[in-house]
Amino acid sequence: MNKRLGLVIDQERCIGCEACTVACMIENNATAPWIQVETQNAAQKDTPSGRFPELRMDFLPRLCNHCSQPPCVDACPNEALVKREDGPVILDENKCDGCQACVPVCPYNIISYIPEKNLIEKCNLCVHRIDQGLEPFCVICCEGQAMHFGDLNDPKSEISKIIAEKETFQLKPDAGTNPSVYYCPPKPRKRI
Amino acid sequence: MKEKSEIRLVRTACPAHCGIDCCGILAHVKGDRVIKVEPGDFPDPKDRRICLRGLSSLEITYHPDRLKYPLKRVGERGEGKFERISWDEAFDTIANKFKEIANKYGWRAIGWVLGGPGAGTTKFGAYLRLASLTQSTRVSSWGYGDAGLPCGSRVLFGAHLPFTFFLPSLLPPSEPELVLVWGSNPAESQPLFMMRKIMDAKEKGAQLVVIDPRYTVTASKADEYLGIKPGTDAALALGLMHVLFNKGLQHDDFIRRYTNGPYLVRTDTGKFLRGKDLGEKEAEKYVVWDTVSNSPRTAAPTEVKSTLTGTYTINGVECKPSFQLLVDLAERYPPKKASEITGISAEFITKLAEKIGTVKTTAFVTHMGLARTYHGDISARAMGTVAAVTGNVNTSFGSGHLPAVLNWEPFLHTIPEKPSYHRLGILQLYDAVISGNPFPIKAVWFSFINFVNQCAHSGKIINEVFPNLEFIVTADMFMTPSARYADILLPACSYLEFSDFLPHPYPYVQLQQKVIEPLYESKSDVDIAAGLAKRLGFGEYFEGGEDGFVDLIMQHPSLSGITREKLKTQGAMNLPFIPDTGQKFDVQFSTPSGKIEIYAENLVEFGQALPVYLPPLESPVKLAGKKYPLAYIQGHSRFRTHSMFANVSPLLQMNPEPVVEINPIDAKKRKISNNDLVTVFNDRGHTTLRAKVTEGVRPGVVNITEGWWLEQFKEGSGNHLTHDVINPVHMFVYEPNMSMNDVAVEVVKYKEAKK
Repeated sequence: MNKRLGLVIDQERCIGCEACTVACMIENNATAPWIQVETQNAAQKDTPSGRFPELRMDFLPRLCNHCSQPPCVDACPNEALVKREDGPVILDENKCDGCQACVPVCPYNIISYIPEKNLIEKCNLCVHRIDQGLEPFCVICCEGQAMHFGDLNDPKSEISKIIAEKETFQLKPDAGTNPSVYYCPPKPRKRI
Repeated sequence: MKEKSEIRLVRTACPAHCGIDCCGILAHVKGDRVIKVEPGDFPDPKDRRICLRGLSSLEITYHPDRLKYPLKRVGERGEGKFERISWDEAFDTIANKFKEIANKYGWRAIGWVLGGPGAGTTKFGAYLRLASLTQSTRVSSWGYGDAGLPCGSRVLFGAHLPFTFFLPSLLPPSEPELVLVWGSNPAESQPLFMMRKIMDAKEKGAQLVVIDPRYTVTASKADEYLGIKPGTDAALALGLMHVLFNKGLQHDDFIRRYTNGPYLVRTDTGKFLRGKDLGEKEAEKYVVWDTVSNSPRTAAPTEVKSTLTGTYTINGVECKPSFQLLVDLAERYPPKKASEITGISAEFITKLAEKIGTVKTTAFVTHMGLARTYHGDISARAMGTVAAVTGNVNTSFGSGHLPAVLNWEPFLHTIPEKPSYHRLGILQLYDAVISGNPFPIKAVWFSFINFVNQCAHSGKIINEVFPNLEFIVTADMFMTPSARYADILLPACSYLEFSDFLPHPYPYVQLQQKVIEPLYESKSDVDIAAGLAKRLGFGEYFEGGEDGFVDLIMQHPSLSGITREKLKTQGAMNLPFIPDTGQKFDVQFSTPSGKIEIYAENLVEFGQALPVYLPPLESPVKLAGKKYPLAYIQGHSRFRTHSMFANVSPLLQMNPEPVVEINPIDAKKRKISNNDLVTVFNDRGHTTLRAKVTEGVRPGVVNITEGWWLEQFKEGSGNHLTHDVINPVHMFVYEPNMSMNDVAVEVVKYKEAKK
């Protein structure tokens, strides 16, 4: 069986620090942030929802979901976006002509068009690193140790075990894309 | 990385002043340029880490605004007009000026204002050595916010910092059932060392309670959040103890063995009853009431059969065990009263106390912010006392100071028969410069400090401190708001350009290994100190350079088996054992009784023998009827380490400008909308910036994260609002602390502000 490389992101351990955002931009020399940390249900970033002191603040790092059925790949007229056999959805910059056909079809609104380059940019799961046996850079730079990388098709991998043991979810399951990025929701509070 | 053979990898460490995180760094070097940094390895792979600032640290090293050459001032102080000079001219000018001032006023008039060296040691030691050799004055910077916790910790634990409870209770084999983060936001200020361990504990089932006037990122992970009024922590602690004692949930055996709780106090004087009062030979020994013989006797080293409660008349003098006095004090703070003071519900105070009193282990976590109030030392003591009476203090840590025990002696007494330097707290510097009390300071050397930006009452610094100084030298990497006031400005290295020994993070030590040669004409602090030492006739004491100092500082038995060479190849190394007391620094500590002092006899004259609740100096605890009704505090931001990284563009893109956080209730009263320009003011000054209207801050409280540079505010700055009032108890115990979180202000829309 082919690998299905992906991520599990544990919201309980995400402290919203955006080290992933910074790490990714440095590692990939990115123009736009390929990972964006959303403060959920909040009017503005890094602020809670609710009324003081009954508040909540949860962070959701959003990035390319490396979908099993990626609409962006289907939409790309130039075969610039490719789904690799081991899972990552990657961009061949040389083939991208900036047509942006992929941008609106992404259910996660995570593909950025960069006008000054006339290219799109998105997370490539650090394939230059994983092909060397390394983890994506965001994973090793995660302050909260909230990000885990591995093969979703290998039941012995760390991330498969997390999915087996913990409650997880994928974003927009109804979109039919079967993302390779899973999230552990924040744990319910244990009132004392 | 065979396919990238031109890339050299160097394992170093980030010494930034975030406290104890101290990330290992693997630098990728191509030619003479560092092209990438990534987290460096640790013996336990789980400890590998970096933060968003560390990731951005190349932006500091290769920042276009780096100071490149020595400069001398040619315009007015603060104007920022400088002219390039040579190092020779810089050193000669400083040496001549220092000698001239020393001739007029004595060497004591020259102050070494050494700020936070981060985890660095030798760069700090080099200046201490120069200060000791010249017998000039070391101006300690603990007092710019970090002396309050030590004041409290010294009284209670006889230790500079209360590692006794906030560190080991989170480490194996402890598995706390409850983690109480009190007045600290480790998710942003110590994410890697502290927050990871808190989240680990939580994963293993611990409940997390966070006490803070702000709903911080740490609070967002809490099972319970308590939005306390700033500066009322001692009242909360007393309320918790009220419940604990009334339900008998205190840990009597622990109190008897490890605290001075059983020692009898004379109620007439407040002093401890002594052996001499009983006519015993051991005249100074403490006295307990023996429960077997039902009579007083001198205390044994480990008390097991003494009473902790009751009133006894001995030779006509009424006495009580000091624990009984604590019980009497706590009796005055039933949850309802504690609730009125703190703003936390009485029901919750009761529930929390019951929880602390019934779980096996509670980890108490705090840091400096809690104690940045006028009575912050008592806040820290009161919290520590809750930990002590419930047995949540790890006695194996004894009087823990820094995690590694370092060999400071050769820096303090470079020539053993000569006395060391004079010492002054930084909050005392103001008066020393302005009016010569307790002695005049005429020249200062600033290293690793952004004085006007980070110290209280910036207006006073600009208008009264700086003009009264005859000579100012600053070593820095950038033209900071403070560097602009220098007469001679020296370019210092970034962390990739010099070597140092880093005794963090517990339980490791690391080598900050030089990765590249100093850029431009910058020098390391050790080399800067050496250059001046040479001209002052002390060159021989600096001949070993950075490596020599690293070796010197590591000469302590607690570091046996660890060498510079081994650190070079192994990166971080484990401390061979948990260090106990014996920390040799320039200040003494350890409690008079050798026990945890829940009752401090030497503070009787101040009325603070017990951790009494005293209202904040300024912070309004009641909203109505005050000229300045809002309590102003300064939290930390993950985008900066104090004022470091405030000029780094990738971080500024994410967090572009200072804001004042204000609750919607307070904003509405003042017709302030989110993003409006507002002026925050009091009698000392004002600052103008944008408002961030958020539920994340308690009504009645406003927050501006510290560290923004003066010029990043539209007007003023965060410290134009703070005050420099000295608490005499801090002076008596240690050194005075700046009360950054004990300040009253009002906020108005900018256009309405009176100028």
